[in-house]
Amino acid sequence: MLDNLMLGFSTALTFENLLWCFVGVLVGTVIGLMPGLGSTTGIAILIPLTLGMEPVTALIMLAGIYYGAQYGGTITSVLISTPGEAASVVTTLDGYQMARQGRAGSALAIAAIGSFIAAIISLALLMALAPPFAQFALNFGPVENLSIMILGLITVVSFAGGSMSKGLMMVTAGLLISTVGIASGFSQARFTFGNVNLLGGIPFVEVMIGLFAVGEVLHQIRVGAAAPIRARFKDMVISRKELTNSMPSIFRGSFIGFLLGCLPGAGSTLASFLSYGVERRFSRNKHNFGKGAIEGVASPESANNAAANANFVPTLALGIPGGGTTAVLLGAFTIYGLQPGPLLFEQQPTLVWGLLVSFFIGNVMLLVLNLPLAPVFAQMLRIPYAYLYPIIILTSLVGAYSVSNNMFSVWLVVIFGLVGFFMKELDLPIAPLVLGVVLGPLLEKSLVQTSALGQGNFMIMFQSQISVSILSLALLLAVGPWLIGRFKSTPSDAKELTHV
Amino acid sequence: MLSAIQRFVPNAVIIALGIGAAAMGAGYGVLGDDGRVGPGFLPTVAGALMAFFAAVNVLTSGRKQTPTLDSVVEEQVPGFHDGEASLDPAGDGGLDIHGRTQRQRDRMLWTVIGIVLATVALVPLLGFMLAFAAMLLVIAVVVERRKIMPSVMVSVVTLAATYAIFVLFLRVPLPQGILGI
Repeated sequence: MLDNLMLGFSTALTFENLLWCFVGVLVGTVIGLMPGLGSTTGIAILIPLTLGMEPVTALIMLAGIYYGAQYGGTITSVLISTPGEAASVVTTLDGYQMARQGRAGSALAIAAIGSFIAAIISLALLMALAPPFAQFALNFGPVENLSIMILGLITVVSFAGGSMSKGLMMVTAGLLISTVGIASGFSQARFTFGNVNLLGGIPFVEVMIGLFAVGEVLHQIRVGAAAPIRARFKDMVISRKELTNSMPSIFRGSFIGFLLGCLPGAGSTLASFLSYGVERRFSRNKHNFGKGAIEGVASPESANNAAANANFVPTLALGIPGGGTTAVLLGAFTIYGLQPGPLLFEQQPTLVWGLLVSFFIGNVMLLVLNLPLAPVFAQMLRIPYAYLYPIIILTSLVGAYSVSNNMFSVWLVVIFGLVGFFMKELDLPIAPLVLGVVLGPLLEKSLVQTSALGQGNFMIMFQSQISVSILSLALLLAVGPWLIGRFKSTPSDAKELTHV
Repeated sequence: MLSAIQRFVPNAVIIALGIGAAAMGAGYGVLGDDGRVGPGFLPTVAGALMAFFAAVNVLTSGRKQTPTLDSVVEEQVPGFHDGEASLDPAGDGGLDIHGRTQRQRDRMLWTVIGIVLATVALVPLLGFMLAFAAMLLVIAVVVERRKIMPSVMVSVVTLAATYAIFVLFLRVPLPQGILGI
């Protein structure tokens, strides 16, 4: 384990990786601050800029955006009661009350410290969990890989929240999109309608940028402008008593966040709400919750950061994204020619451990950045959305063009932007569609290999114990929510929060 | 809350697309030699399943209302919306901070979509930079009614940054128009 850690530090501590990690967390913080811009949108827009980088450097930067956005979302939650990220919604409850009492500095400081401690705890837990995964992975063949793909697609049930049929409908739509063009191993062009631009398929980057960036901008225009920002606070010093009182909450939040983050589809938002609920129930200071209790900031902030890190367990080890943002990151892996999944730890130890250790380094950077510079970041909130969204559209379209040097990519982004907008309006979840697009080519490859292995007989999947176990888990995930629903009249509401 | 027709039409479109894709997929060859899956297997299965789930969605959508983010927050933390915090800046059908109604915002939305489509269509004629300069200015001044000078400044700074990053740093050959810009 120590060897892996040393390998990770030697990778993450190179000048180039440190620089891009810093850029990632800084940009992520700004993205998290901006209402209407989330980590998913930010990563989708910025993927084209990383195509010339080494894969490990690019992923360190993109991951930095992911957890940097959690910090940025906290600043807006505390100062103006407007969460930049869904995972920071619950922080508004006590964080904003603390700000009104002149304790904004304490709230932001405990959020930064809590997130930092959560990052250390989750890194330690990741290190403990990863080697068994890697060892287990050595038993995987085409049959087990196909079962993993099926499990991954079934996780859409979690992504889709209240409606299973919508999630499954969207994941099959994503699979269909992935079949456009000539698939590897076949010579048949599919759904190209004579357009040569479609022979290579519909590129993932254009789909992401359209759905998340342009679609979100159009949605925000329809929803309306947010309130103007007036952020000010003077006292940045957190008292020792506040820090001591918050420590148990930070540890509880970290563990809850990590456990939920490991589950495919659960996500940071659910972790932050559950940890807040637990804290409100068990804290000695429970009567102050909602009135500016520092534990009400410490626990959910630790939880959402730990969950963001833990999301990488299913993403890296199984190739199943833990949430919407990791679904986009999963696509980024495939763009760099990497296949997340059981063999990644075995085949790419430098990349995996470099990335995991960068979480720790990135959180140190965020702690140093956020303690003194939160008021500076807060000034960025004064940029009117009227200027911001045309810039997002421009960046999205020029980014798409830069991937292929072809205007066809720009048109694709516009088309998928409109698709993304209508999906939001119709309450159709986007993350399952993304998952379908990402997993489609891998699924088709596994299908071909497995059918060849079984000479056309798919019952071969039930001859492997691992495959049967994975398929049983998939069945449980598919039928479980329906069964629970039969016994419980009210829907599992909190799951809707993971709806992307 | 979407009306029954608003729920039905998109699902009907998805059902039609799914059936069409499955039919086309079957034409590509579902199974190949020795029972191996062919190029049409995944499109056929995915198309058929998409149509099936859309049909299920039509049948079940009226039964249970999916909870919104605000309703979930209210349930998790009672009284949340009584305070000053809100997740929806304008509210459904309400005025936003600029005093715009939902109808005005809808008009803005369609105008922006039109402007973006026109911009992309004009790239071969005007070139990428000039077309998008016009887009930034038109949205800021005409759609958002911002003052001209700040809008010009924001546009110039944005385009300069875009040029520096994409053309000078990443060496992306952005399309030029008839003016050679």
